Amino acid sequence: MRRDQEKVATEFMDQTETWPIEKLRRLRRRRLRALVRYAYANLPFYRRRYDEAGIAPESVKGPVDFARLPMVTKADIRRAREDSGSFLTGMESFPNGDLATIGMTSGTTGTDFLYCNRKWRQFQGGRLLRAYWWAGLRPGMRMMLTVPAWHCWAAEESYLAERFGVVGVVPWGTFLPRFAGNFVDAIRDLRPEFLSMFLPMLYAVQAECRRRGLALHEVFAGVRCVLVVGAPLTPASRQKLEADLGVDVYTGAGATEGLIAMECSEHRGYHLFVDTCYLEVVDPPTGALLPPGERGRLVLTAFNPHGTVYIRFDTGDLGRVVKAPCACGRTWPLIEVYDRLDNMFAAEGREFVPYDVRLCVDEIPELTGVPFSVIRSVPRVRADRASPTSPLWLAIQRPLSGNLRSLEDSLAAEIGRKLRVKAAIQWVEELPARWKGAPVIDEMEWKEIARG
Amino acid sequence: MTRGEAHDKARDVVTAGGGAPSGATRLARLRRLLRHASRRSPYFQASLGGLQVDSILDERDFASRVPLSDLEGLEAARAATGDPFSGRKCAPECRGQLVFQLESDGEVPLYVALGRSEAQSYARALGRCWRLLGLDKGDRVAIFDFGSSPLSYLASGAFLPYVSRGAADGLACIPVCNDGVSQMGQRAVEIARFVRPRAFFVRSDCMFPFIQEAERQGISLRDYIGAIVVAENEGLPSARSCRAWADALGLPVYRLLRVDAAMFLGIECPSCGLLHVDSGSYFVETVVPGRGRDADSDGGGRLAITNLFARLTPAIRYACPVLAGRIGPGCPLSPEDDRFRLV
Repeated sequence: MRRDQEKVATEFMDQTETWPIEKLRRLRRRRLRALVRYAYANLPFYRRRYDEAGIAPESVKGPVDFARLPMVTKADIRRAREDSGSFLTGMESFPNGDLATIGMTSGTTGTDFLYCNRKWRQFQGGRLLRAYWWAGLRPGMRMMLTVPAWHCWAAEESYLAERFGVVGVVPWGTFLPRFAGNFVDAIRDLRPEFLSMFLPMLYAVQAECRRRGLALHEVFAGVRCVLVVGAPLTPASRQKLEADLGVDVYTGAGATEGLIAMECSEHRGYHLFVDTCYLEVVDPPTGALLPPGERGRLVLTAFNPHGTVYIRFDTGDLGRVVKAPCACGRTWPLIEVYDRLDNMFAAEGREFVPYDVRLCVDEIPELTGVPFSVIRSVPRVRADRASPTSPLWLAIQRPLSGNLRSLEDSLAAEIGRKLRVKAAIQWVEELPARWKGAPVIDEMEWKEIARG
Repeated sequence: MTRGEAHDKARDVVTAGGGAPSGATRLARLRRLLRHASRRSPYFQASLGGLQVDSILDERDFASRVPLSDLEGLEAARAATGDPFSGRKCAPECRGQLVFQLESDGEVPLYVALGRSEAQSYARALGRCWRLLGLDKGDRVAIFDFGSSPLSYLASGAFLPYVSRGAADGLACIPVCNDGVSQMGQRAVEIARFVRPRAFFVRSDCMFPFIQEAERQGISLRDYIGAIVVAENEGLPSARSCRAWADALGLPVYRLLRVDAAMFLGIECPSCGLLHVDSGSYFVETVVPGRGRDADSDGGGRLAITNLFARLTPAIRYACPVLAGRIGPGCPLSPEDDRFRLV
C-alpha cells in the first residue's frame, strides 16, 4: 500500500468525527466568520448583496447573525449570469492562471455552472474520501466510475479514486436507462467491488437484469458495497435492495457541489460533514430558522473558499435535522433529506412530498421499491390552493406478483393511516423513464402520456 | 521562471510528441511492441504465431508479415474465449489502473485497460489535437459527448484518476462537458451562451439537436463559438455534411477521428485540411483488406493503426472502416505529423 493510501486509511478518517459538540460549534463559528469576511473582501456577488442588506461582515459572530445574511437562490444566480453574460457571476474565487474545469448541475430545474479549480477539487475530494470510506471503499479495490464528466462530482470522485489507488472501471454511457445494459455488462465482466450510482440508475440496472433473466445475486456477486445518491431511500427500500442485490447499500445526500452528508452503518440519517459545510433548516415561506426535528427548506453554506463559493444557498430541498444522537458515536448531526420542494403536492388541503408516499408504498411487501408517480392537478400546487377534497392521485407500476385489487386496498389503507388522506390509485405498465425518475407528474403531462 | 514560461513548458510537456521518430527508431519501437505483445498478450500470441520479430526488416516488411486486426476479430475472440479484453490484455503481471468499456452498437461488450503512463500518453494525443486547433491559455473548450468518451475524460486530469495533465491542463484551457445524449441540446446552447468556448467538440449524432435547439432559441452560434469539431468513433461524418454545417452556422467545422479500440485520436488540420496523426504515438497505414498494405498509390484504403504507447492492451494494425490516402508529413502547423487525405 502506498504511503498516501495508508494516510487515507489510518489518519484522515476519524479525526473530527467524535469531537464534542461544543468543539464542533467553535469550529463552525470560526469558519463562518472567516468565510463571510473572505466573501465580502473577494467576491463581488456577495459584497453587493451584503451592502444592499446593510450587513457588515464584522457583525457576523455566529449562526444567529449569519442567518440575517440574504439567502441565495438559483434564480439569483441565473439573474447574475444573464447580467454578466458569462458563467462567472462574481461568486467565484480563482487565482489567475489556475487549472480549472467548469462543472454543471443536472438541469432538472435549469443549469448552473460551477468553477472548479484545483484547490476546490482537493477540498471537495477530501470530503468525499470520508464518505466513500464510510460506504466501504478501500485502497486497491476495483471501483466503477460512472459519474458523467459534466457533474462536478466526477472531479471529486476521480480525486478520491487516485488517492485510494483504486482500479477504475468506466462503463460506456450515462445515467439513463438505455445504458443500463452497459452497466450490467461491466459489472459482470469486470467484477467491480464498489459502485457509486444515481439511485434511479441502480433501479434501471435491476430492471435490465430482470429483462435478461439474470439473477441479481449472481450479477452483483463481486460487489461489496453500493453508494447511491440523487433520491431518498426509505428503510424498507434499502432492506429490499440489500436483500435483492446481496450487498451493503449506503446513501449520500448531495447538493450542487457534491456530497454534503453521508450515512454511517447505522443508516439512521445522513451525518452532515460539519467540518466542511453548515446547514440551516428554514421555514419555506418566512425563511425563519427552524429548530431540530422540524421539516423545512435546507440552506447550505460550504466552507470551501475555492472555486464557486456558496453561502446561504437555497438547495430547494426539504429536510430536517434529527434530534437524537447516532448510535455509531459520531457527534456530527444527523439530517434527513426528503425531496425537492418543487415536488411538493397537496391532497385534501395538506402538503406532502413523494417521500411521504414512498414510506406508505414500501410498507406493502409486494410494492417495496416499485416505481410510482404522484399526479399533481395544478403545477406546484400549494395546500391553500388545492381543493380540500382532492385525494392523493397515484400512478404506480404493476408489481411482478400479487393481487392488484387487494394491493390497492392495502395501499389506500396505509396512506389513510399514515397521511390521513384518501388515495386514488391507478396501475400502469411502465412509468416514463425520465432523468430523475418520475416522482411527480403534472396532470396535463399525465394525460398526454395516457393518450400515448 | 515566470508564470508564462512555466505555462509554455507545461504545454510542451503535454502536447509535444518529441518530434517525428526516424525510420530506424520507429522500426525499433514496432519490434519492441511486437516482442512485448507476442510474449504477453494471448490474442497476439495467437495471431503473430511464430513471427521472428528481429527478422522484420522495415515497415513494408512489418505490413506484409503482421496480420490486421479489427472490431469483428476482437468480438469473435471475445466470444471464443469469454475474455472481456478479447485476449488482448497483457496478463497477468501488467495491472492497469483504468478499464474502459468501448462504445459499440453490437451485443458484445469489449474493453481496453490502461496504466497510468498510457493514460497520460493518450491524453497527450488529445492535447496535440487541441493544440493544432490553436487552443491556448485561457481558452474555454466545450465537449458535447459522454463522460465515458475519451474526448471528455482525457480533457482534464480532474475527470480521470491517474492523469496528471489532461489536454486542457497542458494548454491551460478550461474545459466543460455536456452529456452525449441528443436531449441535452438545450444545455449545449446554454454552454455556448455563457461559456463562449473557442472550440466546441460535438458527437456527430448530437450536431442536429444542437443546431436545432440554437435555431429554436434564436441563437446564432457563431456569436459565441470559435469553431466546431465533430467527432465519431470509428467513423466520420461526410465532408459534405461538414460543409453544410459550416455554411449554415458560419463557423469552421473540423472532424476528429476516434478509434477507441486502438486508443487513437486524430484531427483535421485547420491549415492543410488533412487528417493529422501524431507519428510519435501512432504508426498508421492505409490498407485494402485482402491486399495487405499500401493503398496509397491508388487513392485510399482503410486506416490501420498501430498504437506505439499502449502496452497493457496492445493495438497492432487495427483496421478501422475510415478510408483515407496517405500524404505524409509537411504541414507547417505541425511538420512532424503524418497526414492523410480522408476519402
